[in-house]
Amino acid sequence: MLYSILTSGLAVGAVYALIGVTYNTMFSTSRVMSFTAGQLGMLGGVLGSLFTLRLGIPWPLGLLLTLACCALIGIVTEFVAVRPVLKSLDQHLYVLSTLAVALMIQQFTAIMWSTEPQPFPRLLGGIGQDLLDEKFWLPVVTCAAVIVGLELLYRRTILGHAFLAVAEDNFAARALGLPERQLRVMAYALAGAIGALAGYSGGQLLLAFFANGPHLNFYGFIPVALGGLGNNRGAVVGGLALGLFQQTANFVVGGIFASVAVFTIFIVVLLIAPQGLLGSATARRV
Amino acid sequence: METNRRSVVLGGAGVLGAAALGFPKPAIAQSEPLRVGWLAAMTGPSSAPAVGFNRGVVVAAELLNAAGGVKGRKVEIITRDTQGDPTKAVNATQEMISQAKVHAIWGPTNSGESLAVTPIMARQKIPNIHPCVVNSLIDTKKYPNAFRISPSNVQWDDAVRSYCLKQVGAKKVAVIGDTTGYGVSAAKDSSAGFKKDGAQVVYEANIDATQPDMTPDLLRARQAGAEAIVVWSVSTGMDARLFNTRARMGWDVPFVGHPSMASGEIAGLLEKPANWEKVYAIGYRSCSYDDAGRLPPRSDAFVKQLKGKVELNDTLLWWVAAGFDAINLIAKAVAETGSSSREDIIKYWNTVSKYPGVYGEYTYTPENHDGYPPGDVVMSAANSGKDGTFKLAPGYS
Repeated sequence: MLYSILTSGLAVGAVYALIGVTYNTMFSTSRVMSFTAGQLGMLGGVLGSLFTLRLGIPWPLGLLLTLACCALIGIVTEFVAVRPVLKSLDQHLYVLSTLAVALMIQQFTAIMWSTEPQPFPRLLGGIGQDLLDEKFWLPVVTCAAVIVGLELLYRRTILGHAFLAVAEDNFAARALGLPERQLRVMAYALAGAIGALAGYSGGQLLLAFFANGPHLNFYGFIPVALGGLGNNRGAVVGGLALGLFQQTANFVVGGIFASVAVFTIFIVVLLIAPQGLLGSATARRV
Repeated sequence: METNRRSVVLGGAGVLGAAALGFPKPAIAQSEPLRVGWLAAMTGPSSAPAVGFNRGVVVAAELLNAAGGVKGRKVEIITRDTQGDPTKAVNATQEMISQAKVHAIWGPTNSGESLAVTPIMARQKIPNIHPCVVNSLIDTKKYPNAFRISPSNVQWDDAVRSYCLKQVGAKKVAVIGDTTGYGVSAAKDSSAGFKKDGAQVVYEANIDATQPDMTPDLLRARQAGAEAIVVWSVSTGMDARLFNTRARMGWDVPFVGHPSMASGEIAGLLEKPANWEKVYAIGYRSCSYDDAGRLPPRSDAFVKQLKGKVELNDTLLWWVAAGFDAINLIAKAVAETGSSSREDIIKYWNTVSKYPGVYGEYTYTPENHDGYPPGDVVMSAANSGKDGTFKLAPGYS
């Protein structure tokens, strides 16, 4: 039981964490919670299966194509659903616009792909069994690689510094001459690729299924709320904790009650720490 | 003769009275086409059954017309694509009755649509035959015009329970449904049935169909001592995960339940083809082959008749056969009564006894509009799909 909780819980938790990071990446440059994050994860699985299994493209190339397609969808989201509503951010119109794009992505996938779950390819050809099975360790390794990559990007590169500057204060960043719009577009492309990686690395667990989008949207949002908005390390901790707790709840209470247990804990945590477990209350000069 | 107001009123009353007593029906009613409304979810996410039914509908109409029609009347199928949407089904039903003036309606093909249109058809007293399984759709008091060509949920449930108790010999069962409305209610009814028959339901759960790992539930079922696992879900992803998990656990408990467990989609989701062994899904005797690969004689003749005309490798034979039978049942009512009036068709159907259809032998009475023979609902080996037919599960002769 413990073994199953650890393998499956960490793997699913890593996928949730990556979706949380996708939310954060889009949020940091736009202050918008884009509800396309879960759909990007779903597309990672569907496009991965499409390129490799249906079209027979070798998986490394298929992965690159998947990342490129999702990055493009990220950019389109920025143009279509985010940019037009930025001026009235306080009215939260982005909820409607990003949900509309998410719904369109889901319906389009259902029509063009399938409404039934489709298989996702084994990537490394059955190396390892049980704990060493790639479907369990792949999401965890991918999550670690993404976090390390983002840390390097944000700390060691000019582009990363520019992202941080826009995330910190986009008015000040613009005043300093930083191309805020281009940086935002790049952040959405990056978020698209991260979302795709979440779905691709978890494809063998979640399958290539059009209905994974709303599922990932919900469960990917929890790490963001638990870890603090915009905090990637918090999202990873929150995601892994969520995965482990969910799998434990499946064992202990099972079925529908497992979801109830997850959301109960989520609400309790937010009541105790509204800014998230790793978030900090921000002070604003008035 | 003097024409005054009194004579005009008297004359008018006489004409109306004669009309009320009934003139001979004009010849046009006897020669006009027999119009059959066909409510089909031909596109959209749940279109696979309607596409299959439609093949049978088209063949039936072609054969009837080639043989000179029904009492000289051409059979005209008026198809409306409902896309699986109850609102579209309601609109199409009203249009069929008021504009297209159909004589009877076949369909819709899913219970959600049928729940929406059945009361409308009942108000109009239009003869309706459909293949939807929800029990409440057949009620001879509320819907005396509605007849079911397929088994009801209760019949499915009885067949699964009977197989678990008599063929598998299980005294302790686990009942698993998904978290949809259907999964929850089907699992609940199924558990109640097992308990009523003296079996022990040692584990009962509703699982989210997108749950990636089924190990917790199967471990709990094994620890509880389950000797058979009954599954009520339309999710092929959930089915495949259950089969894969069972194999990884090294457990050989049989799965018995919903027809989706025999869906061709599952093959691609299995880690090994062997994981599909000992899985028994609901099937029909008329569309199941025996150990020698033989179908029942009537079905065999039907398949031979379809050869070259209808593809069967991407659909299920029972869908095609039920569509074929539905049109023939409507035609038979008109042929036997010589009338296509709503009352006469319904009246005839209420007397049908052991009508020899391809899909089944239907029997209807004024008190029972569930016409499918209960004994013909059988279990099939889920991994044995071949041209829309399945092999009978072990234990049937």
